[in-house]
Amino acid sequence: MPHILVIEDDPQLRSALLRALDERGYATSSAAAGMPGLRDAVDARPDVVVLDLGLPDIDGSEVLRMLRAVSAVPIIVATARDDEQAIVRALDAGADDYVTKPFGAAQLDARIRAILRRAGGTDDRGTEITVGGLVIDVKARTVKLDGGVLDLAAKEFDLLRYLAERAGQVVTKRELQTEVWRQPYGGADKTVDVHLSWLRRKLGETAQQPRYLHTVRAVGVRLSAPEVEPDRTEPDRTSAR
Amino acid sequence: MSSMRRQLAGLVAVTTSLVLLAFLIPLAIVLRHNAADRGIAAATDAAQSTAALIAVDPNTAPGINGRIDDGLTLSVFLGDGTVYGAAGSRTPSVELASRGRAFSAASGSGVEVLVPVQGMPGGTAVVRAYAAPSLLNRGVTRTWLILAALGAALFALGLILADRLGRRLTTAVSALAGTADRLAAGDLEARVTPDGPNEIRRVGEELNRLASRIGELLTAEREEVADLAHRLRTPVAALRLDADSIRSDVDRDRVGADVDYLTRVVDEVIRTARRPVREGAGASADLAKVARDRVAFWTPLAEDDGRTLTLAVPDQPVLVRVAIEDLATAVDGLLQNVFAHTTDGVDATVNVTADGVLTVADTGGGFTDVPERGVSAVSTGLGLDIARRTAEASGGGMTIGRSSAGGAEVTLRFGAA
Repeated sequence: MPHILVIEDDPQLRSALLRALDERGYATSSAAAGMPGLRDAVDARPDVVVLDLGLPDIDGSEVLRMLRAVSAVPIIVATARDDEQAIVRALDAGADDYVTKPFGAAQLDARIRAILRRAGGTDDRGTEITVGGLVIDVKARTVKLDGGVLDLAAKEFDLLRYLAERAGQVVTKRELQTEVWRQPYGGADKTVDVHLSWLRRKLGETAQQPRYLHTVRAVGVRLSAPEVEPDRTEPDRTSAR
Repeated sequence: MSSMRRQLAGLVAVTTSLVLLAFLIPLAIVLRHNAADRGIAAATDAAQSTAALIAVDPNTAPGINGRIDDGLTLSVFLGDGTVYGAAGSRTPSVELASRGRAFSAASGSGVEVLVPVQGMPGGTAVVRAYAAPSLLNRGVTRTWLILAALGAALFALGLILADRLGRRLTTAVSALAGTADRLAAGDLEARVTPDGPNEIRRVGEELNRLASRIGELLTAEREEVADLAHRLRTPVAALRLDADSIRSDVDRDRVGADVDYLTRVVDEVIRTARRPVREGAGASADLAKVARDRVAFWTPLAEDDGRTLTLAVPDQPVLVRVAIEDLATAVDGLLQNVFAHTTDGVDATVNVTADGVLTVADTGGGFTDVPERGVSAVSTGLGLDIARRTAEASGGGMTIGRSSAGGAEVTLRFGAA
């Protein structure tokens, strides 16, 4: 049973986090401030640390740096800051992943599982995802379609990667908004739709004549290889490096 | 040359001219009088010395040189009517002098000096020395030219000094103005090197102090907003985790939707609080460019939905007092409103005018109830509220109506930058 250490000063959020993680089968412990959290992280050797950046005694970024200096424990930063600079700073300081408040239990659980997979070497996903003629190099953040390089914006790449990792499955727009944009979904929000339209243009298709991106009305969207290549509809994940 | 330098040069030109005229004109008059006095004195000397000579030895009269100088002639009138020296008639002045009185008098353009010599054989003789105008004005023209040249030199020197002073002032003031412009444009690192007169140096020092203060206030604002985000989002995070723990799917979805709505409202509160941080020391954006960019962004979705998205913007920039990020969000809010609340196939137009007015109209069913107050009654999301607040923060506003095609029409009026 993986052990998760939660370093969070807000008692309500700390309780809710511990409860949600307990329900999902994790062993949990917590600290209400940076210094006790550091001590627990070193002494108790948790499998994952969930670290709030806004702590009362030391700034969370400092805790992150100090912890990284003495331990290789995977750290997920929980931050109320949604600006890119703050997130990049946290990742550069040694965080393995981040969640933006307010986050759901399912999202946190998915990120913990992903980190545990990577930490345990059980992550079978390679650095390259292939769907039909679409080849996504996750590490290099490049995409090739039938051999030609696609020029994708950062969010378009994230969107395509998320769909490619679930090729053949219908993914809801709510899920895309939550997981790719890490924002709550409003029914009237067209952010996902407009990015999907751009992605279609760059994949050389339209909503009326889809090849890879198929809209499933009232449900979501599915990425799959064109029907002319039926043997390549399932994601083919191979390690390129 | 800058306006300030021109004005300073003009002021110095006028004052220098007045001072020079007040000094040089009386001086010129005095010099002219002095020249005349010198001429008369020379004539008097010549007349008196000749009179003394004749009085001692009357026989010297015939040998008198009548032309002493270019401008000075000498005549001796004997009592018997004989005239020696320069030719001349026996004028009433000579007659008057023959009565034993010496005097000088104006004669034509010159001055004559008459000295009687009594005790001469044949009656009183009169020595007449005539100072011509050339003697009376000797050296005046040259002196006046020197004075004029001196005046012109002083005038030019005054202008040069005024220009140098003006340049020093304008350089210092231009540096101040340039720094103030950079600060207004949001460059809070801009500082001026205090220079020029004390007063302008002080203004420069105060401007630097003000810039530092603005930077400190914005930093404090940034920290305040970061803290606000933390304080608001942390309890919402607890609420979301608790909502996720609800066992009933129906209840969980319902509470989850409420938490989503609360999250969007909190996000908007934080966005609004961040406005001063985004705008920095000054906000300005080109509405025409932003409208073009945003319409280009939404066009692929419009094509997928079978809509026509038409854009009409002026060729020249339309600068409005809004941070570019806020302006893009406001335009996105209106366009998203069309996509979210009209069916596929409904067309939309985006129109921008040169006076900073953006209109988004569609051919859909329009708002079912145009509210008299605000927009909350028809705003099913936050997009219109965000757009309204952005327009109002710039000094403008938002109006909602019906388009000529019968659909909805939302107009945002922005304050000019």
